[in-house]
Amino acid sequence: MNEGIMIGIETAFSGYNIFLVMLGCFAGTIIGMLPGLGPMSAIALMIPITYGFNPASAMILMAGVYYGAIFGGSTSSILINAPGVAGTVSSSFDGYPMAKNGQAGKALAIAAYSSFAGGTIAAVFLLIAAPQLAKVSLSFQSADYFALMCVGLLSIAAFASKGQFLKAMIMTALGLALSTVGQDSLSDITRFAFGNINLMDGISFVLLVMATFAMSEAFMIILKKSDINFKASDASKNKLGSIKLSKDEIKEMVPTIGRTSVLGFLVGVLPGAGATIASFLAWGFERGIASAKDKLKFGKGSIKGLAAPETANNAACTGSFVPLLTLGIPGSGTTAVMLGALLSFGVQPGPRLYIEQPELFWAVIVSMYIGNVVLLVLNLPLIPYIARILAIPKNILVPLVLFFSVTGVYLISFNAFDIYFMAIVALISLVLRILNFPMPPLILGFILGGMLEKNLRRALLINDGSFSFIWDRPISLSLFVIMIMIVSLQIYQGVKKRKLSPNI
Amino acid sequence: MSINYTRMSALIFLLLFMMYSYFAGEIQVFSFDENADFNARTFPKLISYLGIAVSLLALVLSSNEKEEFGHYEWLKVLVLFALVFSYGMFIKSIGFFISTNLFLLVSYYYLGVRNYKVLLFSSIPVVAALQFMLHGLLDVYIRDPFLQLLGVIS
Repeated sequence: MNEGIMIGIETAFSGYNIFLVMLGCFAGTIIGMLPGLGPMSAIALMIPITYGFNPASAMILMAGVYYGAIFGGSTSSILINAPGVAGTVSSSFDGYPMAKNGQAGKALAIAAYSSFAGGTIAAVFLLIAAPQLAKVSLSFQSADYFALMCVGLLSIAAFASKGQFLKAMIMTALGLALSTVGQDSLSDITRFAFGNINLMDGISFVLLVMATFAMSEAFMIILKKSDINFKASDASKNKLGSIKLSKDEIKEMVPTIGRTSVLGFLVGVLPGAGATIASFLAWGFERGIASAKDKLKFGKGSIKGLAAPETANNAACTGSFVPLLTLGIPGSGTTAVMLGALLSFGVQPGPRLYIEQPELFWAVIVSMYIGNVVLLVLNLPLIPYIARILAIPKNILVPLVLFFSVTGVYLISFNAFDIYFMAIVALISLVLRILNFPMPPLILGFILGGMLEKNLRRALLINDGSFSFIWDRPISLSLFVIMIMIVSLQIYQGVKKRKLSPNI
Repeated sequence: MSINYTRMSALIFLLLFMMYSYFAGEIQVFSFDENADFNARTFPKLISYLGIAVSLLALVLSSNEKEEFGHYEWLKVLVLFALVFSYGMFIKSIGFFISTNLFLLVSYYYLGVRNYKVLLFSSIPVVAALQFMLHGLLDVYIRDPFLQLLGVIS
């Protein structure tokens, strides 16, 4: 393990990779700050740039982008009350009132320090937890992996879809169905290509991510008539005020950071939960345990109210790498995109990664520390300048996003069919998003589809075609029990909702 | 049970998964694989059952949500969609540099940018920088007849 850590440190601290972390954090901050564009779009836009990289450098860049996008989302939440990322919505509860009171600089500093502390504490947890979990997961068999992926798909549908469980499940099924287009990995039989040569190799993961996130996000900005750029340009011109914090303010933040970093990390590890749930839970938790006097401050510019979600969302981002790196199962939509990118590099994340490619495994973990330092040391002082990005009018922003999306996809295949297909997928996903069909389950279904089929095939062949593996192995059985609990919870919530609103 | 957009979309998905199920049954497998425990049809069939079940449940159980399509700027989106489509049509024939610049310029202009300095500075340098990065730094070759004619790339 120590040798692995040393290799990881060496890889992460190479001049080239440090430059990539800085670039990633910087680019992520800018993209994440633009209202509407979140970490998934930011990472999707980065994928084409990483084609020539080795997997470790690509992951380091993407991890930097992920952090940067979350930090950028906090900035737009605080300055203009328009979160670029769902995970930073709760940061606007107290961050925006602080900015309105002329304390925007202070609010941004609290956000940066909390993010730094949350990310760093969680990276220490990751350092301890990931190898342990990787060792445990070495005993996993195909049946267990199949069950684990089912839990991942179900939980992202259940917890990350704002009460739209059935819609999320439809999207999961659609993602799984799309993953079956093209050649079957074992028999090489072509499925669902309908004689179209462009579909024989299957649908490109980058195309699907770009279309459902970056491109449809750009269409969405145009679709909505409200023009937030007016407000944004105002905010970017205003003075931010001091970024210095007093001793009392730091004292007030420290216990909150301690509590919510643990909470955020644990929530992040759970499949499907992620930064959004972690930040809301942290805000609610801190409000719940606050004294009656402090409770009144929540929502009006409370330091604890801002530090809690900021700490938790960064800790959750780090936590979501645990299932990705150790089990090869993404815990959130963003890590699903990263998994897809890793697979396209020929890297299969999972317990073997820890043994076979320690430089990649540890370099990603070590680069998270570096990313946190970069955000604090470089991005915070630059915020007054970066905030001017918010003033980019949407009529310039949208064509640029469309251009980068199209170019990213075209550069993989040099095939115009991919551009047409991408535009159609983006238009369909735009309509689905308006109808509240969530997109992360689609991406997760698409990415896990191939692995799910492979593991189910192995499990069935080992068991002579019988599904008895579900109850034969204790790990599989416990995972299927968890699945039943998730479904039961959704049914219970659905019934409760119908009782409360009988007009259905 | 009233008709709303959610139910309509659930119905469309139901039909889609039924079609998917039909085509899954039509997948040609090797004769020795026909009665195997797991063949190329098995997984798609399972997905289709899941899809049919959840779409059916969504069709029956979905609640009445507020869904309005009217107050959106659909025309602008459709025009941009057409521009992306045309961009795809021209990218090979007239090359990356001209087609991309044309796409950006027309899109900016359509979305209301009239300042010619903004129009030019937001397109030509951006495309040139990207193309330089691809050709010069990342060694990614994009065929471009126009730049070849000018002798910028070989």
